[in-house]
Amino acid sequence: MAQVELKGVNKSFGKVQVIHDVDLHIEHGEFVVFVGPSGCGKSTLLRLIAGLENLSSGEIFIADRPVMDLPPSKRGIAMVFQSYALYPHMTVFHNMAFSLDLQGFSKAEIRQRVEAAATILQMEHLLDRRPAALSGGQRQRVAIGRAIVRNPDVFLFDEPLSNLDAALRHDTRVEIAKLHEQLGATTIYVTHDQVEAMTLADKIVVLKDGRVMQVGSPMELFNAPANEFVAGFLGSPKMNFFEGVLSGGAGTDTGQFDGEGLSATGVRLVSQEKSTGDAVRLGIRPQHMMLDANGPLTGTVTLVEQLGTETVVELQSASETSFRFAAAESLDIKAGQQVSFSFDPGRAHLF
Amino acid sequence: MTRTFKHIVLALIVVVWVLPFIALVTTSLRSETASKTSGFWTAFTPTELGHRFSTHNKGETEPFVTMSGNIFERLNKDRGSFEVSGDVKSILFKGRVPDPEKEGKTKLIRQLIFAGEVMNVRDGEFVFQSNGDFTWTFPEATAPKPKNIDAFINQNPVFGTDAYIEVLFENKNVPNALISSFIVTIPATIIPITIAAFAAYAFAWMRFPGRDWLFVIVVSLMVVPTQLAFLPVLQGFSGIASWATSLNAWMTDCEVTKTCQVASKTFASLWVTHTAFGLPLAIYLLRNYIVGLPKELLESARIDGASHLQIFTRLIIPLSVPALASFSIFQFLWVWNDLIVALYIGPADSADLVFPIRLQKQLGTFKDQLHLLNASAVISMIVPVIIFLSMQRYFIRGLLAGSVKGG
Repeated sequence: MAQVELKGVNKSFGKVQVIHDVDLHIEHGEFVVFVGPSGCGKSTLLRLIAGLENLSSGEIFIADRPVMDLPPSKRGIAMVFQSYALYPHMTVFHNMAFSLDLQGFSKAEIRQRVEAAATILQMEHLLDRRPAALSGGQRQRVAIGRAIVRNPDVFLFDEPLSNLDAALRHDTRVEIAKLHEQLGATTIYVTHDQVEAMTLADKIVVLKDGRVMQVGSPMELFNAPANEFVAGFLGSPKMNFFEGVLSGGAGTDTGQFDGEGLSATGVRLVSQEKSTGDAVRLGIRPQHMMLDANGPLTGTVTLVEQLGTETVVELQSASETSFRFAAAESLDIKAGQQVSFSFDPGRAHLF
Repeated sequence: MTRTFKHIVLALIVVVWVLPFIALVTTSLRSETASKTSGFWTAFTPTELGHRFSTHNKGETEPFVTMSGNIFERLNKDRGSFEVSGDVKSILFKGRVPDPEKEGKTKLIRQLIFAGEVMNVRDGEFVFQSNGDFTWTFPEATAPKPKNIDAFINQNPVFGTDAYIEVLFENKNVPNALISSFIVTIPATIIPITIAAFAAYAFAWMRFPGRDWLFVIVVSLMVVPTQLAFLPVLQGFSGIASWATSLNAWMTDCEVTKTCQVASKTFASLWVTHTAFGLPLAIYLLRNYIVGLPKELLESARIDGASHLQIFTRLIIPLSVPALASFSIFQFLWVWNDLIVALYIGPADSADLVFPIRLQKQLGTFKDQLHLLNASAVISMIVPVIIFLSMQRYFIRGLLAGSVKGG
C-alpha cells in the first residue's frame, strides 16, 4: 500500500521560507493534484517528496516508511519532469532502461519490462529513436514510460503538459487519466492549470505562498470553497466578488448580505467567526447569474467576448466594481448597454 | 557596420592567416635554386630562366650529317625531379664566327638567336624550335665536340617533394622530433582533460564547503605566467631527481655501473608541467559547460538511481564531448607548439628534442636552405591541422537537441 503522508513539512531556502507546515495524507491509488499560482511552492513540495530537496523540518512517509534520509532512487517514486529531461545521447530504449540497468537487472528482464511499458504507451515503434527525432508529445510519452518502467509506488508529475500545445495537452491529459486507471498507482501531479486539476484529480490540494489553502475533491472545492482564494482560483471565468456587510445570520451556515445596492438572504456563510456588521464579500460565479430585467444587480457592459460555446460579458457596477457574466449561449449584448441580473443565493458565498 | 564591410574585414583576416601557410607550403615544394632565387608567389606562373645544355654527350664520336635532339631532354637527363618544361624563347649564342672585316680571321660574338633562326655552330647549321627540338646539320658527316649552349626558357611551374624526402629520410632529426612531440603532447593533453573533467563536475554539481572560493582560486591561477614558475618548478624537479637518485643508489646496485643518476628533465616533467599549467583553463571551460547542462537531466538520473560517478561517466562525459574536444584541441596545439617549456624543462638529449626546438636548431644547420626549413615547418604544422579537422565535427552544437523543450 503506497500512501503518502506529510507531517509538519517546512522548507526554507536561506532565510526565505517557501513551505509552511504542510500536513497531507494521500491514500493508496489516489490521484492528487497540487495546484496554485506560480511561486506557491507546489513544485518545491513535489521535489521534497521526491527527495530532490532536503526538508528543513517535518516528516514524510511513503508506504508507511520514513523517507527523509533516503536518496530519491530508494523512495519508491518516479518523476516526470516539465522539460521531460530525456537523456539526449541515448535511444528511447536506453532512456527507459537506464534505471533498470543501474539496478543491475538482467538484459532479458530489462528488455521485457521496457517493451511492456512501451506497449502500454503504444510507442513500441519509437524504441530505437533518439529524443531529438521525437515530437513533443512523443517525448512526453517517453518520459512517462521511463517512470512506468521503474514500477514505482508513487508517480510524481511536475507540470508535464505545460510544454505541449493546446490540442495535444487535452489528448495527453486524457491519456494520463486512462493510464492512472490502468496502473492504479498513487499519483501526485503538479500544475498551475485549474482545468487539469479539475479533470484529473481525485483530490485537489490548493496551495498559496507555501500554505495549504484547501484539500478536497474537485467538486467539493468548486461548490464549497473554504476561502476567497480557492473560490477565485478555481473556475473560469473567475468568481465575482462584491463588497458589503453581514447584516444577519452571524455564527450560522447562511448569512444575509447587504451591499452593492442589493440584499440577499440565505447565502452560504463560509466563516463562522464573522459577526453582524462585519465587512464581507459576496462571491457569485459568472455562470450562476441569470439575465433578469428586474434583477437586483445592474452593470454597464464594457466588453463582450464571444467564445463560441460561451459568451463572457465584462461589466461594471454603479460602485465601479468589475464583474463578469458567462452564458452558454450567444447573446445580443453590446458594450455600453445596461444589463440587470438576478442570482440564486444558494449558489453564492460570503467570505 | 554594413554586411559588405564585415565580409571584407573577414576576407582580410582569412588572407592574413592563410597567406603564410601558402608561402610555407609553396616554398617547401620548390627546388633549392628556385626557393633561393625568387619569391614563392612566382612559383605559380611561367618564369623565364636561363639553362645551359650540351648538344650531346662527350663520348659520342659517331660522325653524322644531321643530328636531332631536344633541349628539354638534354636538360632533364640528369634530373630526377623539378624537370624543366615550357617554351624555349631564345638562345644566347657565344662563339667565334668568320670576321667579315678581316679576311681569314674570326671574331667572338654574343648574339640572341630566336626559334627557327639558323645559327652557325662549329660550321654546322643549328636550328631549334620553341618546343625544344633542334637539328644540327653539316655539309658532310662530321663528329664535332659537344657544344654548351645557354637557352632562355619560359619555364612552366614545377613542384616536387624533394625537400620532404630529404628532411624525413636523410637523417633522423625530424622523425625523432615528430615522435618526441607525440610522446609529450598526447599524455599532456589526456591527463589534464581527465583531471579537469572530474574537477569540473565537482565544481558544477557537487556541494562541498568552500566550493566557490576554491573555484575562484583555480580560475585565478590562469594569470600565473609559465615563465614565472620556471625556477621553482625546475628546483622541484631536480629535488625529486636527486631524491630518486639516492633511492636508486640505496635500492639497487647501480653504483657498480655508475648509472644511479636520475634525470630531472624528462618527458614526465613536461607532462606534469603542461598538466599543471593547462588545468585552470580546462577546469574553467569545462565547469562552465557542465554547469549549463539541464539540471533536470541530473535530477532525473538521481531518481533513476545513478551515483555521482555514474552520472559523470554515463551522462556528463557523453554530453560534454563538444567541450572536451574543443579543450583537447587547445591543449594539443599549445603543447605541440610550445618551445619555452620544452627548452627549460624537457629532455635535452638530441634524439628527444621536440619539434619546435628541432625547428629552432634547423635555423642554424640549414641556414638559407629555405625549402628544407619550410618542409620541416609544414610537417610540424600538418599534425595540428589533421587533429583539428578530425575533431571539428564535435564542435557542432546541438548534441543536446531533444533532451529538453525546444532543444
